[in-house]
Amino acid sequence: MIQESVLSVQNLSVVFHTPDGDVAAVSNVSFELRSGETLGIVGESGSGKSVTASSLMRLNNSSTATTSGSILISGVDVLTAEESVVRRIRGSEIAMIFQDPLSALNPYYTVGKQIAEAYLVHHPQSSKAEARSITLEMLKKVGIPNPEKRIDEYPHQFSGGMRQRIVIAIALINNPKVLIADEPTTALDVTVQAQILDLMKELQKEFNMAIILITHDLGVIAEAAQEVLVMYGGRIVEQSTVDALFSEPTHPYAWGLLGAVNSLELSGRGSLATIPGSPPSLISLPSGCSFNPRCAYSSEICTTDVPALRVVGSQGSVTACHLPNDEIISLGRKAAAR
Amino acid sequence: MFMFIVRRIFFALVLLLAVSFFTYMLFAMLPSDPAALTCGKNCKPDVIAANRIRLGYDKSLMEQYWLFLKGIFAGRDYGTGAAAFSCSAPSLGYSFGQHECVTTLIAQTFPVTAYLSIGAFILWMLIGISTGAVAALHKGKWQDRAASIFTSIGVSLPTFYIGLLVLFSVVIWLRILPFPSYESPFDNFATFLRTMILPWLVLAVLSAASYTRLTRNGMLEAMNEDFVRLGVAKGLTTRLILRRYVMRQALVPIVTIAGLDFAGLLGGAIITESVFSLPGMGKMSIRAVVESDLPVLVGTTMVAAVFIVTANVLVDIAYGYLDPRVRVK
Amino acid sequence: MKQRRIIAAVSFALVASVVAAACGGGSGDGSEGGTPTKGGTIHILSNGEQIAHLDPQRNYTGDDLAFAGSTMHRTLTSYKYAAGDEGSGIVPDLATDLGTFNEDGTVWSFTLRDGITFEDGSEITCADVAYGVSRTWASDVITDGPTYASTYIDAGDYPGPYKATADQQAAFDKVVSCEGKTITFNLSVPVADFNYTTTLLAFSPVPKASDTGEKYDMAPVSSGPYKIESYEVGKSLVLVRNENWSKDSDPVRSAYPDSFVYEFGLDEAVMDERMIKDAGDDQFAVAAGIQPENLPTIFEDDAFKSRRIDYYDPFVTYTNLNVKNLSCVEVRKAIYLALDRDALRKAGGGPYTGDFADGFVKPALALDYKKSTLPEGLNEDGTANVEAAQAAMTAGEAACPEVVARAKAGLNFYRPATPVWDKAVAIWIDSLGKVGIKLKDEPVEASAYWPTVMNPETDYDIARGGWAPDWANASTVIPELFTTAGGFNLTRNADDPDYAEFQTKVDAAKKELDRTKQGEMWQELNQYVVDRLWALPGTFTKAQSIWGSKVGNAYQWAPFGAFNYGDLYVRS
Repeated sequence: MIQESVLSVQNLSVVFHTPDGDVAAVSNVSFELRSGETLGIVGESGSGKSVTASSLMRLNNSSTATTSGSILISGVDVLTAEESVVRRIRGSEIAMIFQDPLSALNPYYTVGKQIAEAYLVHHPQSSKAEARSITLEMLKKVGIPNPEKRIDEYPHQFSGGMRQRIVIAIALINNPKVLIADEPTTALDVTVQAQILDLMKELQKEFNMAIILITHDLGVIAEAAQEVLVMYGGRIVEQSTVDALFSEPTHPYAWGLLGAVNSLELSGRGSLATIPGSPPSLISLPSGCSFNPRCAYSSEICTTDVPALRVVGSQGSVTACHLPNDEIISLGRKAAAR
Repeated sequence: MFMFIVRRIFFALVLLLAVSFFTYMLFAMLPSDPAALTCGKNCKPDVIAANRIRLGYDKSLMEQYWLFLKGIFAGRDYGTGAAAFSCSAPSLGYSFGQHECVTTLIAQTFPVTAYLSIGAFILWMLIGISTGAVAALHKGKWQDRAASIFTSIGVSLPTFYIGLLVLFSVVIWLRILPFPSYESPFDNFATFLRTMILPWLVLAVLSAASYTRLTRNGMLEAMNEDFVRLGVAKGLTTRLILRRYVMRQALVPIVTIAGLDFAGLLGGAIITESVFSLPGMGKMSIRAVVESDLPVLVGTTMVAAVFIVTANVLVDIAYGYLDPRVRVK
Repeated sequence: MKQRRIIAAVSFALVASVVAAACGGGSGDGSEGGTPTKGGTIHILSNGEQIAHLDPQRNYTGDDLAFAGSTMHRTLTSYKYAAGDEGSGIVPDLATDLGTFNEDGTVWSFTLRDGITFEDGSEITCADVAYGVSRTWASDVITDGPTYASTYIDAGDYPGPYKATADQQAAFDKVVSCEGKTITFNLSVPVADFNYTTTLLAFSPVPKASDTGEKYDMAPVSSGPYKIESYEVGKSLVLVRNENWSKDSDPVRSAYPDSFVYEFGLDEAVMDERMIKDAGDDQFAVAAGIQPENLPTIFEDDAFKSRRIDYYDPFVTYTNLNVKNLSCVEVRKAIYLALDRDALRKAGGGPYTGDFADGFVKPALALDYKKSTLPEGLNEDGTANVEAAQAAMTAGEAACPEVVARAKAGLNFYRPATPVWDKAVAIWIDSLGKVGIKLKDEPVEASAYWPTVMNPETDYDIARGGWAPDWANASTVIPELFTTAGGFNLTRNADDPDYAEFQTKVDAAKKELDRTKQGEMWQELNQYVVDRLWALPGTFTKAQSIWGSKVGNAYQWAPFGAFNYGDLYVRS
């Protein structure tokens, strides 16, 4: 069933102006997000995924960044709206959770106060008592045991997993349409990771929320997302369903990623297969396809023309690669089978 | 928490006792003979010997110290016969140079130092924190640069120089204010204000400099914190974020350092008091050094030590209050 | 008086002396007389934190004696309020005349006037004067004051009024006795100028019932035209009129101003600026001492002509030589001739600091001063005469080779450890080095200097000296500095072959009741010392003062070199 679109990003580009030069952090990113859906964004560090995410709430420092394109949510273009309008959207229509839950929480206030604060900002008419009872409910919902006592405790008194639940509580207390989760489990133990992902899925169902899940971990994507964007060098290089990504990936970079994952599963003791080379410098991107220096299949055209996104295969996958379709399909299936 | 406070107070008292001991011993072991220093003109050897007995310097060091300690709790008697007198508890000794019990002298001079310290403290916190905040919020722009110039000047110029310069220009050359002549605020509030405004400003501007830097750097650091980003992501207004997130963090070290600075000032702002002729404890201390009036020196050192030790205890307790992560369970 | 701390201008005892009309005095002006008016407040600006001692028996600093004596403490006799030498003359104060004495000057009597009262209106009796004098004996409480009373008067083992037994008190009462209004002093030695001694405030009356011992310094009872309204150390001393003082009983003091305000704790640079600016209340102010850097401003600009003065203070600086170690006069002469006194004066601040002395008695003691004959070869302009010094050394080799050898090996030069003396000692070492004399520099912490050199155990060869007469008679100079009984003899000259003769002459002079004749004897004795160079004359020091434009009749009061607090007035 096609859900309604809650977030529409068109040609988002972000350029940072640094003393060393202009950094093209994000180039021409477009996607749609539907309610109830989880979109994964995967890529190495420096691929532009986090900057994309923070642009969605206009968190970038406007004095050093030039952002272009449009980000539509609830009828508002985040990039051009007034600051007061954007503030209203932040924390109520669209919320974010960060990677490190300890540094994400204000160490000087109790968790109860911080959760209530998120509520009161967008419900200024409410009384403190009301906010507190809603906070308690939220704590229960995210699975904090003994919430009546712990509501008045400080972030440092909680374990990493508990803190992440609190961050989630803050993000969800106003029932946002979109939740951006930027590497939500990277700082957590493997066992806790699973719990947090389950919690997120549960709450997503309950609130009918769309989630953007940013990660470098394909396992998390497999676990939690339906759609996935693969980013490299600030661009989208592949966009497909999760099933399609793992069965029929359509970009050499994705093939490399899968190879890295699969070799781990296969060999156990053998060395990780890595993609040779290193991520590109965003100040001086290679001309043409930014992946071409590391691509085993690159040809002349790859060094001159930036590949446009086009549909490939039967599963609706979109890719940015100069290779002809049938080659992509066959190479992709091979990569998935390894 | 209660036990924590009790323990800190107990150790503070032990520390004060140790300070009193070392202070007393230090002065007692000065190379100059204290008895010789107390007589003015006719300092013949026999007069010095008589003075030594009169002032109790012939007793052993430990006995002298014990008498001093006892005096703090029980008062102390001096002289014999019709010329006897005493200093009531807490007695910190008797100054033969000023013919008055040291405790009384301190009680007379301390209010001046206190007024000076409090006024300067309020001013420098206001000036320092506000300029630091402006600098942080306009990082890299002219406000930031102006603040850093202000900081450099304030930190490097000596009080003596600025104090005299201000005094000369405002009072003597421009005649905006009359000469500082201290009067208690309860006697003549107008004269009190007119006298104190210059030393307050001089002290405040010079001390504010380091707080400007502290505030600026503290705020900039805080603004880079993840939780501040989350605060923005929550949709909070900039004002709320500055108050509850940025300043709340930046102020923690500032408050503690300010507490210690203030306590240090209570021991006597020697140079400022001298330049502006304020009859405070600092001026009295420096005079006691010049005239080798040991009882006064020991007394003022002890009082200054009490303030600093107390401030340390209070700051420790306050820090636990200010930063929940540090709290003792 | 012993000189204190010539070094720093912090000295509170910078006292002035008379604008000497006759011999080599300063260039200075007093403000013109005009008609004095009653009323107003005189301000005294001071760098000190308090007056060292207001207790009359403990007050021994020139400026303080002048101030307290002018305002609060009357004594039996006092100096006259007059500019110039006339100010060194004495007049009766509490007494009806200048005292009567027996034929050998050992018994002195003074009769008190009628109508003399303390500030509470009670009559000043003979017993009050005797009580005041007796306090000097309580040297464990009453410290730092002049001890002439207890030196001249033998009261057995009298320990002062606080501890005396009935017997001891009786012994005192016998030698200082009262009969009606007449007080009689029985001296154990003849003192020809005892009526000068009684100008010291140590002879001021104190009411026994109000004596607070150690604390009397803060609140003494006044017998003069003013009394204390408030006294805050570090802030100010305010004197207001004593209603119970009558002009009829006091022909000495004019008491024109309604009050005096002594301001303490002022920064010296600020004081100078205030006096130069002469604005507001500072027009009614006086300030003793001017910072060296401001002296040209004040003394080269005629705008200040009527309110500045450059004058001799009572002090003489000199250098003590250990006559026992340096036992031959040739070597002492060599030291004096080789010394570059001009360089020393320049390093110390230049001509404003004083003139080169020709002896130990200053011209202000007009009766006792005569320009002495200095050793041959000594340059008038203070520069060294190295050849003459060499010649003296050569003579010394023949006369006392051990002393010369000692001088060449190294003489112990004891001096205060201050920046001024650091510069001076370099000049000394350099000067004497030119004739082969080595100096071992022994700096002593400034406040410990006098106790150190006064200690007979300290083996110095050269030590500094400074002195001012305790009253206007060289009897307080020559005997004090050069006899073994003298309180400040640092020359250790007891073994000098001429000492016996010297002592005899001094004894004779002290007994001489004819003042003029006595003066001539002091002149001779001054020359006697100069001939033998037991000490090397240094400088007749000068000081400079300035006062506000509305202060009337200001001049330097010769005996103390202070302002004439007793007859200043405020110009309307």
